Amino acid sequence: MFDSTIYLLSLVIALVAGLCSGYFLRNRKRVNFGKFTFGVILILIFSLGFSIGSNNALLNSLPHIGLNATVILLFVLAFSVLLVKVVKKMVKIE
Amino acid sequence: MIKYIVVALLVGGVAGYLNSNYGSITAGNFVSDYLFNASLLLLLFIMGVAFGMDKESIAKMKRVGFRILLFPFAVALGSILGGVVSGIILGINITASMAVGAGYGWYTLAGPLTNQLFGAEWGALGFTVNFLRELFTIMTISLIVRVDKYAPIALGGATTMDTTLPIIVRYCGSDTLITAFSSGFVLSIIAPFTITAIAALPH
Repeated sequence: MFDSTIYLLSLVIALVAGLCSGYFLRNRKRVNFGKFTFGVILILIFSLGFSIGSNNALLNSLPHIGLNATVILLFVLAFSVLLVKVVKKMVKIE
Repeated sequence: MIKYIVVALLVGGVAGYLNSNYGSITAGNFVSDYLFNASLLLLLFIMGVAFGMDKESIAKMKRVGFRILLFPFAVALGSILGGVVSGIILGINITASMAVGAGYGWYTLAGPLTNQLFGAEWGALGFTVNFLRELFTIMTISLIVRVDKYAPIALGGATTMDTTLPIIVRYCGSDTLITAFSSGFVLSIIAPFTITAIAALPH
């Protein structure tokens, strides 16, 4: 619990630091970070894949519980999207 | 673009598998912890800068205001409802399948917590469903974004504050940064409480 609190906080701090820096630099010329960002995204996704691949317990449990997991997942996703759409309509967010 | 992402995920998966079986623990920890956190923090910072510099995004954010907080609650309710309906259809413990849904994609939390509250079998399911939620969001984002601009945020659940955030911003537009981050943040905070609260229901 303590670990995850620190984790959440570090993400918020990184984002807020970026937002403030960007806000102070807002009248400067815009720099395009697109390519660089995409490179870092690939590193992030690679390391995500890496920790999944390292998790033998997870890989072993996938085949037995695959069907139940898939059914639960599909309903969870469908209802999440449905309710988000409903809320969007209700409060009129474009 | 999604091709490169899927390739990076697969190559990472194979590398992680080989490393955990034949490689070194130090290298594994370096990639899973250090590299992962460093790239994530860097991305959050850069996306923050880009958003802060973008006057249009800020103006749009101000128009929407506190209404964006409704998103995470819609996702939470939808996830729990999905757990109920799938529990009924599969004829399994409905309380437990609700708790699995209430992991909102945060599998490192949902796995151990459902394991503790409902037993090992549910722990494995809590882990898998939420892990697949993250994977599914990454793999299908280019299609799902056509259903609705905010649908990837609904799919991503709690992961929209970290792993899926950079991809969501790429596909849904930079103005979705704060919506996605705050939704993931709220869901991450309420996940442990909703799972525990659901476990307190009769089952």
